[in-house]
Amino acid sequence: MSRVPGSGGAARGAAGTTGIPRDPPTRPRCVFQEQLQPPAIDIPMARLTVSYSRSSGPGGQNVNKVNSKAEVRFHLASADWIPEAVRQKMALMHRNKINRAGELIVTSEESRYQMRNLAICLEKIRTMVTEAIEKPKVVSKETAQKLIERVEKMNRERLRQKKIHSTIKQSRKADFD
Amino acid sequence: MSGSGVNRALELLRSLPRVSLANLRPNPGSKKRERRRGRGRYGGRKCGRGHKGERQRGNRPRLGFEGGQTPFYLAIPKYGFNEGHSLRRQYQPLSLQRLQYLIDLGRVDPTQPIDLTQLINARGVTVQPLKRDYGVHLVEEGADIFAAKVNIEVQRASELAIAAIEKNGGVVTTSFYDPRSLEILCKPVVFFLRGKPIPKRMLPPEDLVRYYTDPRSRGYLADPSKVAEARLELAKKYGYVLPDITKDELFKMLSARKDPRQIFFGLAPGWIINLADKKILKPTDESLLKYYSS
Repeated sequence: MSRVPGSGGAARGAAGTTGIPRDPPTRPRCVFQEQLQPPAIDIPMARLTVSYSRSSGPGGQNVNKVNSKAEVRFHLASADWIPEAVRQKMALMHRNKINRAGELIVTSEESRYQMRNLAICLEKIRTMVTEAIEKPKVVSKETAQKLIERVEKMNRERLRQKKIHSTIKQSRKADFD
Repeated sequence: MSGSGVNRALELLRSLPRVSLANLRPNPGSKKRERRRGRGRYGGRKCGRGHKGERQRGNRPRLGFEGGQTPFYLAIPKYGFNEGHSLRRQYQPLSLQRLQYLIDLGRVDPTQPIDLTQLINARGVTVQPLKRDYGVHLVEEGADIFAAKVNIEVQRASELAIAAIEKNGGVVTTSFYDPRSLEILCKPVVFFLRGKPIPKRMLPPEDLVRYYTDPRSRGYLADPSKVAEARLELAKKYGYVLPDITKDELFKMLSARKDPRQIFFGLAPGWIINLADKKILKPTDESLLKYYSS
């Protein structure tokens, strides 16, 4: 039952003592990606109402009997784990998912397992909050100017090429007057 | 009451004639008559060979021949689907539903750490080390109905399976057994009868080191603090409250782990188990002790 005392008392973490060849330290593959992602939002499970029901779709006896559709609802206006401004933004963005009592309802029946459907619901809530938090990108004046210049340049080039093509076609015409 | 039954049986034995070939008969329905060709109206005449041609004369072409058309097995180009299949590692699946079934029937004891040996003794899984099996894979089928607190050690585990076990207050560990250790783990008695010392378990090969040092797969070589963090993360992801196992009465059992070089709980590498005399022989030589404790 207990660990054998004779094996040097090597703890699972102290792998170096037993001479296990260590993996070379992994270089961060996409540092930018990691830095830009905001920390995962903590959802208090006690404030949510979770209910399970039977999913729709084909599947015979299994889909008829097994409760795998997960539904999560919570009162949006009183959710203090979301900042006030974000709450209002969410009420606007997802007004189709809010019922008359003011509860935001998220459902999932994509997976065969209740637990996974619940995880998907929570992930959806997190995405909603993240989308509501993000501010619209402010395009600086210089960048806006550059974009307009680019479009104009493209059009100029397109018309130039068109004129060249036109002269080529004209030169092929044999006009004997 | 049983006394009179026994007496009646003994009386019968005394009075009935001796058992001989003349008195014995197989159970009706156990022996079926053999079908012989060339006998009678139905088995005879053409003897099931058809009428004339290659069929009757036994000259049909080889299997796969399509009359001259390029046969299917030659028309389809080769592709290495099965290349190296005999070198690929295989894991026998164990669903949570099956595990719950075994626990409910009492074939597996959840109050002791569950090991591959326990599962095989309970005839819950069949692992064939000689067929490139490297152990057992814990699969999530039955995750919603699983309700047992266990300390289980498997070779691979899927994320939802780990979540389901930890939700119920259990502990999962994934550990590696090289083929020789796996054979010993699957059939310990046969190994002990050989009279050889228990070998030390080898460390995982290069491509598996990453898996077994990853706290997310609860690898046995992973940092325990990181494993604790990963448990919290999983609880947040799947939306359950992680039960505190330190306050559990079975905490000692749940935290029992094997050393990376150990095959059996309570037995160290280098020991010889004598089943006949019920003795354990341990090495005393310094060089042996150094080798087995490395």
